[in-house]
Amino acid sequence: MSGTVAVAITKRFPGFTLDVRWEAEQSVLGLFGPSGAGKTLTLQCLAGLIRPDTGRIVVGERVFFDAAAGVDLSPQQRRIGYVFQGYALFPHLTVWKNIAFGLQGRPRADRTRRAAEVIERLGLRGLEQRYPRELSGGQRQRVALGRALAIDPALLLLDEPLSALDAPLRRALRDELREILSGWGTAAVVVTHDFTEAYRLADRIVVYEDGRIIQSAPRSELLWQPASEAVARIMGLSNLLHGTVVKAMPDRIQIAWRGHMLEAVNSPTRSYLPPPDSPIAFFIRPEYVRLIRKDRSAPDAHHMNLMRGRIVGEADFGTVWSLRLRLDTPGAPAQGDFDLEVEVPHLVYEILEIERDRQWEFSIHRGSIHVLPT
Amino acid sequence: MDFFPLWLSVRVALSATALTLLSGVPLAWLLARKRFPGRHALEAVVVLPLVLPPTVLGYYLLVVIGYRGPLGRALAAIGLELAFTPGAAVLAACVGSIALVIKSAQAGFETVDGQLEQAARTLGRSEWSVFWSVTLPLAWRSVLAGTVLAFCRALGEFGITLMVAGNIPGRTQTLPLAIYDRVQANQMGEANALALIAVGIVVVLLFGLSRLARLRY
Amino acid sequence: MRRRLVSIVLALASFAFGPASADADPPSLTVFAAADLAFAFNEIAPRFEKATGARVTLVFGSTGNFAHQIRQGGPADVFFAADQSFIDSLIAERVLLRETRTLYAQGRIVLATARPFGPRLTELRGLLDPRVRHVAIANPVHAPYGRAAEQALRNAGLWEALRPKLVFGENIRHTLQFVQAGAAEAGIVARSVASVGEVDWVPVDASMHAPLDQAAAVVRRSPRPELGLAFIQFVNGPEGRPIMKRFGFMLPGEF
Repeated sequence: MSGTVAVAITKRFPGFTLDVRWEAEQSVLGLFGPSGAGKTLTLQCLAGLIRPDTGRIVVGERVFFDAAAGVDLSPQQRRIGYVFQGYALFPHLTVWKNIAFGLQGRPRADRTRRAAEVIERLGLRGLEQRYPRELSGGQRQRVALGRALAIDPALLLLDEPLSALDAPLRRALRDELREILSGWGTAAVVVTHDFTEAYRLADRIVVYEDGRIIQSAPRSELLWQPASEAVARIMGLSNLLHGTVVKAMPDRIQIAWRGHMLEAVNSPTRSYLPPPDSPIAFFIRPEYVRLIRKDRSAPDAHHMNLMRGRIVGEADFGTVWSLRLRLDTPGAPAQGDFDLEVEVPHLVYEILEIERDRQWEFSIHRGSIHVLPT
Repeated sequence: MDFFPLWLSVRVALSATALTLLSGVPLAWLLARKRFPGRHALEAVVVLPLVLPPTVLGYYLLVVIGYRGPLGRALAAIGLELAFTPGAAVLAACVGSIALVIKSAQAGFETVDGQLEQAARTLGRSEWSVFWSVTLPLAWRSVLAGTVLAFCRALGEFGITLMVAGNIPGRTQTLPLAIYDRVQANQMGEANALALIAVGIVVVLLFGLSRLARLRY
Repeated sequence: MRRRLVSIVLALASFAFGPASADADPPSLTVFAAADLAFAFNEIAPRFEKATGARVTLVFGSTGNFAHQIRQGGPADVFFAADQSFIDSLIAERVLLRETRTLYAQGRIVLATARPFGPRLTELRGLLDPRVRHVAIANPVHAPYGRAAEQALRNAGLWEALRPKLVFGENIRHTLQFVQAGAAEAGIVARSVASVGEVDWVPVDASMHAPLDQAAAVVRRSPRPELGLAFIQFVNGPEGRPIMKRFGFMLPGEF
């Protein structure tokens, strides 16, 4: 039943146009991007709640929508499980009735068995006779999931499944949700504006911006190789920097930045050879900036992209410290009052006594400087 | 004392309320959920009976349902009479009170979160089922409020009834008409008694309904 | 639950189409009569019932409304109007039977005051008294007695002065109400309804207004035209006339 999902649709509104095309295999697909980019709109078109202007939607072997052929299945006919942002639980029905809501039309024994099965698998036993207003955020999310899964849908759609929850809860439930999704095995499309969430829940991620798709890739590829500065910005990457090309070669690029000459690996996804003196964007992952211990002797040759700077700000995130470094070279810093964000684990912070010692040398491996093609 | 007007009025009010419910709730749903050409015209027509003087309404209604009128003749053709029968009193009560049902129910339906109805659709429920299992249960208080108002209005309907049903004692003289008659004939004792009974009915009704409304969903 | 609710609602709706009333076995006569005939007919009708064995249903109201209703098929067998012009137009429309047209009375208007509320007045001029803040008359636009009141006031040269004080009743009984309740300190009402406890009245000279000739006729669609005619003749006959006279109507032959 479940299989490929293929979407190719357009929809025009005054001031906004959606024009997207993507495919997903039997897995979890993430639609990621800022608010208002058209992700929820896509879900609603998938579910049949909104009708696209043109295009085609196919789920498994069934054609849900085909503008040219005049096919448009009603939501009732599509057998899609939809978990709304805010859950949309029926406030006047118990947990049991909510979950069994889509099972109308099956023989009674069947309904009871199926609802009980869902309740058991989602850990909702004991809550059957409660009403949504009596449940915690996490419980509501599971009821919403259960209600959608009970009908054995061909496809599961989740709209910001975690955004209605408080931050601490969100993290725990994110993992739980991942387990449920893989345990249940149903193909799913998850919409989120949080990259960590998308990364954790989905196998493949489609990046939305302003009604269009700007990258579609397996999650690790997106993490390491955002296709452009726009994607990197949406992902909320730290250390998104701009320099000038000194020399570009197939395997590496030399960049002038803040008085230094940096050497970065070239983008592996395509041959990118900008001419000298052209502007270039790149990013450096904060956790890959390596502070150099002072108890060693002079810096080794293998320290690449060696720089010196001073810590001008720091924040404790529980397990890691986030530090803000300002380079010693003169000139305005690249990011407000600092140049680089550096992340060090707690242990390192303590061992290096960073609290006292604010002046540091550091290096960045060339493979940790990621060039962003325009 | 003659109790005919009392029984007639109760029957008329119950029938009229039932009819306004059957016709008003679907109309209210239409106005709340659907966009269609002529929507605003319909809303104006619905509210019109509240704006026009009852005698004027009665005048025009009588032209339509009287033995010369289009509806009157159509009904006569199948052996039915409407004008100057208790049926006309029911019609008058309906016309006077349907706006109350429609407006209350419409407001109630509009406050139901559309997303809940969407959810019901994705779960396979037909439009009819969505209405009965989601929309109406969540709006029942508004519908009930409108129904109560409509019943009271139907019970007290006077001007339109006077015209289309006539003030015929023992046949179409409803409670309000009877009270009016007694007052005109200077029989204040009977008039007061009848008025008190009318008030009594309404008080009992409202009391019973407020107990009902305290129930949750 | 849902099903039960719907069936209750449907059952109630069907009530509307039930049988009308205990409308009965003895031949019945429905009389539409102008409001000013209420007291008089309430005495005459029982006598007619005793004399003929017929059941009489009296419906009182405004002549104008009745005319419209009879035109649209109202269930009157006979119509007693407060103004003969209504009878004549309905006859012209062939709604009433010309052969049955009968003058049954000439109405009189009187100046009435209610004892507890206003000074006792003896002439129309008295209405100018500042203690009289409101004067009630029937609506001259559609009520014959109201028209007569207006004519009388105009003839007395009082119309413009009294206009701001005027209060209009829908029909003559309604007008009397205003006076009885004290909403108006004085009023011009029909002689035939004015004889109630707390009301004092003086006659208004009949020459001050066009005559209120009151006519009656039988309705063409009546299934019992002979009964209707009998009633008209009864009112004009030896049993009816004394009662009519007692209530201040001038009778045919006297005007």
